[in-house]
Amino acid sequence: MGLGQLASRALLRSSRLTTATRTSHFLRTIVSTPELHNSEVAAAQSQPEPDLPKRNPVGGARIHFPNPDDAIEVFVDGYPVKIPKGMTVLQACEIAGVDIPRFCYHSRLSIAGNCRMCLVEVEKSPKPVASCAMPALPGMKIKTDTPIAKKAREGVMEFLLMNHPLDCPICDQGGECDLQDQSMAFGSDRGRFTEMKRSVVDKNLGPLVKTVMTRCIQCTRCVRFATEVAGVQDLGILGRGSGEEIGTYVERLMASELSGNVIDICPVGALTSKPFAFKARNWELKGTESVDVTDAVGSNIRIDSRGPEVMRILPRLNEDINEEWISDKTRFFYDGLKRQRLNDPMIRGADGRFKTVSWRDALAVVAEVMHQAKPEEIVGVAGKLSDAESMMALKDFLNKMGSNNIWCEGNGPNPNADFRSGYIMNTTIGGLENADVFLLVGTQPRVEAAMVNARIKKTVRATNATVGYIGPAADFNYDHQHLGTGPQTLIELAEGRHPFWSALSNAKNPVIIVGAGIFERKDKDAIFSTVVAIAKNANAVRPGWNGLNVLLLNAAQAAALDLGLVPESNGSVESAKFLYLMGADDVNVEKVPDDAFVVYQGHHGDRSVYRANVILPSSAFTEKEGTFANTEGCAQTTVPAVPTVGDARDDWKIIRALSEVAGAQLPYDTLSAIRSRIRTVAPNLLHTDEREPATFSTSSLRPEIKEKMDMAPFETAVKNFYMTDSVTRASKIMAQCSALLLKK
Amino acid sequence: MASTLKYVRVPPNSANMEEARKRVFEFFKTACRSIPTIMDIYILDDVAKPSQLRSTVASEIRKNAHVTDPKVIDMLLIKATEELSNIVEHAKQRHHIIGQYVVGRQGLTQDLGIKDQGNSNFLNSFYSGNYF
Ligand code: SF4
Ligand code: FES
Repeated sequence: MGLGQLASRALLRSSRLTTATRTSHFLRTIVSTPELHNSEVAAAQSQPEPDLPKRNPVGGARIHFPNPDDAIEVFVDGYPVKIPKGMTVLQACEIAGVDIPRFCYHSRLSIAGNCRMCLVEVEKSPKPVASCAMPALPGMKIKTDTPIAKKAREGVMEFLLMNHPLDCPICDQGGECDLQDQSMAFGSDRGRFTEMKRSVVDKNLGPLVKTVMTRCIQCTRCVRFATEVAGVQDLGILGRGSGEEIGTYVERLMASELSGNVIDICPVGALTSKPFAFKARNWELKGTESVDVTDAVGSNIRIDSRGPEVMRILPRLNEDINEEWISDKTRFFYDGLKRQRLNDPMIRGADGRFKTVSWRDALAVVAEVMHQAKPEEIVGVAGKLSDAESMMALKDFLNKMGSNNIWCEGNGPNPNADFRSGYIMNTTIGGLENADVFLLVGTQPRVEAAMVNARIKKTVRATNATVGYIGPAADFNYDHQHLGTGPQTLIELAEGRHPFWSALSNAKNPVIIVGAGIFERKDKDAIFSTVVAIAKNANAVRPGWNGLNVLLLNAAQAAALDLGLVPESNGSVESAKFLYLMGADDVNVEKVPDDAFVVYQGHHGDRSVYRANVILPSSAFTEKEGTFANTEGCAQTTVPAVPTVGDARDDWKIIRALSEVAGAQLPYDTLSAIRSRIRTVAPNLLHTDEREPATFSTSSLRPEIKEKMDMAPFETAVKNFYMTDSVTRASKIMAQCSALLLKK
Repeated sequence: MASTLKYVRVPPNSANMEEARKRVFEFFKTACRSIPTIMDIYILDDVAKPSQLRSTVASEIRKNAHVTDPKVIDMLLIKATEELSNIVEHAKQRHHIIGQYVVGRQGLTQDLGIKDQGNSNFLNSFYSGNYF
């Protein structure tokens, strides 16, 4: 957030001042003009050209002028900046490159103006003004560095510290605390307070957020976050004056899938992470910028590790995907990376127990069995967490072995991979903000993709967009209309008979989101064609706006479809003699024939391991470099943060090695070679961090669907938000969350 | 033995390659002579034979066969003598000796027999670790 830079900025600024004065001294000694001997004159002469190096906006902030006529000019410390009308003084200062200290102001929350730390001096105003709440007016002369502003900050710091405990040495926020930093930069060097400090009873907010309420400075960021972003009314302010407290009004937990974010926004150590409590200091941690894989959103995260251990996960700013929030699953599942790990290749012996073997032996056994199976009996399934490189390798390998029975979990029995626009989120996550009517078909974004839900929530809050939902009864944190539970409602909408149709057809930018849970239905093509018809009638797909979206469930899905992981007509596990599961844990192993040979390549001993004959340990996403495409089709790469566990290898390396042992050697030895191979199949996966829009829209190109829709209602795709894949199922924190928070 | 080695002094610089060469051979002989003591104090009988250790010493010396500057050779000899006296004085522990001179750099996986010969480099590095 750049608040840590405050101190250094303050230092910088003062050093600039000292150099300026020193220059004038220097001038005096070498130039012997009599007037310059007088220091006052020297100062006056150096004044006219004020020392104004080009300043850069804080944190690379960009200004966007919605209407060029509305630009106004203000002066920050004498430096003129052009800003759009309606910006606050604090934002103007940021654009001028001055970071104003603040506690309660947060750019994504409403303005409270109750901490008073952001006081600045404005010419002609009798008192310092709270810059976060004051709109900038044309020609305003803002002074951020004057004795009055400094004095004001010092005074506010003194008041804040009056009731703030001096427990930095035992506080988890120590080292990354706004209050600590700002009291170093702006506070007084001594205190005058001798009375007793107040103390506040800690609140129980559940298994994720630890509270030490005595440290709270009542900035109300957490309250505003809970109501505005998370959409739960659980947190609030109780009492007045020095009795003011943050709490849940009654004894209850904070039931939100975004609750972990209050840890980040709390400027002090009042709200900290419970699982991370007393585990590490932030300066011991190594941060690795990576991508989350627990859902299809691909939230940008920073993995903080110490040695071989992932200590915590924090969000990373990405305006297009997750803004600066992440879901609780993303933030807290990391303890699952330490449990149930597979670390050695293993073969199941005759007695049904696994025996550790060397890689050489394991690969030799797999290759031999594979050659005994008929090509059409070889089946490969890529798991939810697979990266594009390993899926490419697996597909190439199985094709070389003569089989084309390969698919990715969650894409259903016969996925439609022909048109990219038919399986990605065409509107983009950021684009959802322009929508005015949402129609959610068989999807519960709150549990399927919490960050997408946060965007919808944001839009609903900002523009009063209407949300219609078709599917089983579900939990929403914004106003919505429950239109129905199954395809019947879709037909009514398509025929324009449903009351919601008027809202949808009058919408300027309608958005239809279809859940990927529908992929598993037999009649999915019929459902999709009905949805396409609705979209056509509502004019949701037109040049400049594509409002027809699919919300995927898993990190691997989009890349799998891009790479064409589509099974041949009869592909299924029932007919398999040789089943290669690459991290696939949600395959129904009961349906696998008893005489089939099952190879499980993965990092966690999860469901499929019970049926596996050979285990090949691979690395988790925190340990490897891999490409993942999120639900809007944006390719991003993970970066290894910690070393692999035991004797595990990266997924694509295992397949490459196996291919050689099996005598069908794949032609790539390095990650970049695999990527050149991917370039020939799905070049969009190589344009990392950029979203490649789909070229065609499906509506006109799709074949007519003759079959009828099954009238069975839609089902819930994600039963338990906290446990969706092998890593989260191994996590103790996620288990606690499901036990405490999902209890009805 | 230990006491004699303690007082080994490296004389002033060798004047030419001939002299340096002679010193290397002398060092090699000293090292070979101390091998029985080393075997004894580090209990190496069950992991190595004296001839193995001798060839290890020889190969360590051969690693620097390309050096032609007598001054550099002298410096290397000083280091070698230091290492030898450390070993002889029991300044090291058994696993140091085993790790450095018995097992060597390739580690414990020395079964690179016939079965790996037809393999690609990729597969061989795959068997030895994930990071390559
Ligand atoms: S708990 Fe933290 S975020 Fe909430 S009001 Fe107190 S200081 Fe602010
Ligand atoms: S940041 Fe302006 S009053 Fe708190």
